[in-house]
Amino acid sequence: MDRKKQFTEGLITNNPVLVQQIGMCATMAITTTLFNGVGMGLSVLIILTCCNVVISAIRHIIPGEIRLAIFVVVIAGFVTIVDLLLQAFVPALSEALGVFIPLIVVNCIIIGRAEAFCQKMPVKDSFFDGIFQGLGYTCVLIVMCVVREFLGSGRFGGGLIDISNGFRFTLDGTGAGIQIFPESYGASILSLPFGGFLTLGFLIAAMQYALKKAEDKKAKKAEKEKEAEK
Amino acid sequence: MNEKKERMIFDVTYQPQVRTVRDTQRIMLDVIIATLPIVGFGVYRYGWHALLLVVSSMAAAVFFEWAYRRLLKKSITIDDLSAAVTGLLLVMVLPPQTPVWMAVIGDFFAIVIVKQLYGGIGKNFLNPALAGRAFLTASYSGVLTVVVIDGVTSATPLGYLYGDAPMPFTLAQSFFGAIPGSIGEISSFAILAGAAYLIARKVIRWRIPASVIGTVFVLSFLGGHAGYSRFEWALQNVCAGGVMFTGIFMATDYSTSPVTINGQIIYGIGIGALTMLIRYFGGYAEGCSYAILIMNLTTWALDKLCHRRQFGVSRKDFYLSKKAKKNKEAVS
Amino acid sequence: MNKILKLALVLLAVSAIVAGVLGVINELTYPVIDAQKQAKTAEAFASVLKADRFDEIEFDNPDFPTVLTVHKAEGVGYVVTSKFSGAQGNITLAVGVDNDYKCTGISVIEHSETSGLGANAASTGEVGVNFRKQFVGQDESIALSNAGGSIDALTGATITSRAITEAVATSIQAVKTLG
Repeated sequence: MDRKKQFTEGLITNNPVLVQQIGMCATMAITTTLFNGVGMGLSVLIILTCCNVVISAIRHIIPGEIRLAIFVVVIAGFVTIVDLLLQAFVPALSEALGVFIPLIVVNCIIIGRAEAFCQKMPVKDSFFDGIFQGLGYTCVLIVMCVVREFLGSGRFGGGLIDISNGFRFTLDGTGAGIQIFPESYGASILSLPFGGFLTLGFLIAAMQYALKKAEDKKAKKAEKEKEAEK
Repeated sequence: MNEKKERMIFDVTYQPQVRTVRDTQRIMLDVIIATLPIVGFGVYRYGWHALLLVVSSMAAAVFFEWAYRRLLKKSITIDDLSAAVTGLLLVMVLPPQTPVWMAVIGDFFAIVIVKQLYGGIGKNFLNPALAGRAFLTASYSGVLTVVVIDGVTSATPLGYLYGDAPMPFTLAQSFFGAIPGSIGEISSFAILAGAAYLIARKVIRWRIPASVIGTVFVLSFLGGHAGYSRFEWALQNVCAGGVMFTGIFMATDYSTSPVTINGQIIYGIGIGALTMLIRYFGGYAEGCSYAILIMNLTTWALDKLCHRRQFGVSRKDFYLSKKAKKNKEAVS
Repeated sequence: MNKILKLALVLLAVSAIVAGVLGVINELTYPVIDAQKQAKTAEAFASVLKADRFDEIEFDNPDFPTVLTVHKAEGVGYVVTSKFSGAQGNITLAVGVDNDYKCTGISVIEHSETSGLGANAASTGEVGVNFRKQFVGQDESIALSNAGGSIDALTGATITSRAITEAVATSIQAVKTLG
């Protein structure tokens, strides 16, 4: 398989959130600070990649009738592992994301990719599919976080960046972020679920607009070539 | 462009209809004229900041409408004055200390997101000014849930009514506007003057305001409250909060209220009932703006429910055709 | 029959492997997680009541269903932890109570309130610190300022503030029953 094509599919043309429109619950719920977004995105990326590899590896062994049950068991296993590891070693993230880490079990991105991709594809392709789809998801989360955090509380990189003692990354979620304008000017409704719906709606609209524009351009080009041939 | 201006025909009520030469511009101008006494009183009470708020909010709303239509290469609709009215109504329901920039953000939300994204005038499903207020209240609750007059924070009359401290304002004070509150909401007297003008000009009908205010009166009369006579309590509930203003100027918004007569009455009763529900049991002291937003969402269903018999069709034929339609739907 | 048996066995095998792996991971992470939880509770206790050691005492009063544990610090006072519903989910709160039945401080151990509003009750920022400071020295008649008391509610989080205020009153009453 063409890696480059897989890459653009995961990030743009078949982006899990903006194009496939799956896994949106967590997308809207947790994207309030950059720390949450990056943490959630990376967790999903890791779980997705592991699940893709395992499911692809055992795809010949598992009987078709019970494949979904087995997918769910595998996914739940990896999610629980990540959940426990986060609780043990990154408690701040585990606290911030709360129930949304266990809820990755029912995140359609993972079972969707298992059903639509891994059960037919070799391990290597599935591995890259997990990475690229996970990256696509993480990118959307990061964009959502940046927009909501900036408009909602005038901050950038909350939890992840600290500038009180020179610029540094705080991986324990304690950084206050960079205050771009005073917090009291921010429309804090954007940090509430309503803001999630609003931001996601605008992002999806922008994505569809861009995709449509690219398609039109392609069609025009093809037409011109056709005319030139004539 | 020297085309003759197209006259739009309005179906703001159910058939039978009479066509007149009135257009949106004239209707909106009437609304602005009707708010003049209220704005005047607001400026008298709160000084020039109130006037600055009104003017800048109207200007911002018009600007956002113009900019959006311009950017998306649509026809420019600012001369129908509807954007100006939205900006005006928005500041009327905000407390007097609201900074100008905040009102401008509210205008942006009301005009661009609530009104224009759904297709512009007549196509929005929420009242833009109230949605803008809800957005601002949720975002800047610290600034907007209190009323500050001359630097002194004062509790609103509704805060007293539903709190533990005794109400310091008499009924006459509530009615004529000697109470702290939003620019547009304080003087019931000025609001009624505006309403009389609007009804005389037939811009609004009496049904929605009457059913909203009537329901609030009846429910608060029945509900009562310790320390007040029932009559006084009910009148305070009508005069002291935002019911009067929102019931007359906001609930009657054409595109977000039902056009059928029965629909309008149910809509008004729903607003009144929800308002009292929020006042008695909710976390907010004032609930009529949320009540209107909720009932806005039911408008389409109310219109469908209260679909009226056509002129000249007998009751029997009407039900037969309704039944036939239902069967047809069931088959398909 | 054979087919069903085979399916069941495969599913059993996969589940067994996953369960085994999870068991190992749990074994490895449990001590770390537990130590963290204890450290957090200890920190919360220390922040609400100045004492060297806390001994858990038995508390099983059906009148106080929200109270989880009561710890006694000899000669200084008590720390009561309680779990009650806030605006979004359950809040676990530690309340320090001295021997005069006055609150010596509160600390939110666990919560799931709205970030930016109710979550400020637990924040380490100025808003949270100032909010929690108000509780110091209060007795069981504590109430929010809009209900005639002296606690200013968090902006936009009346429900969270009210729940915490009530929980503090309950905790003080619970300590009173101990005599």
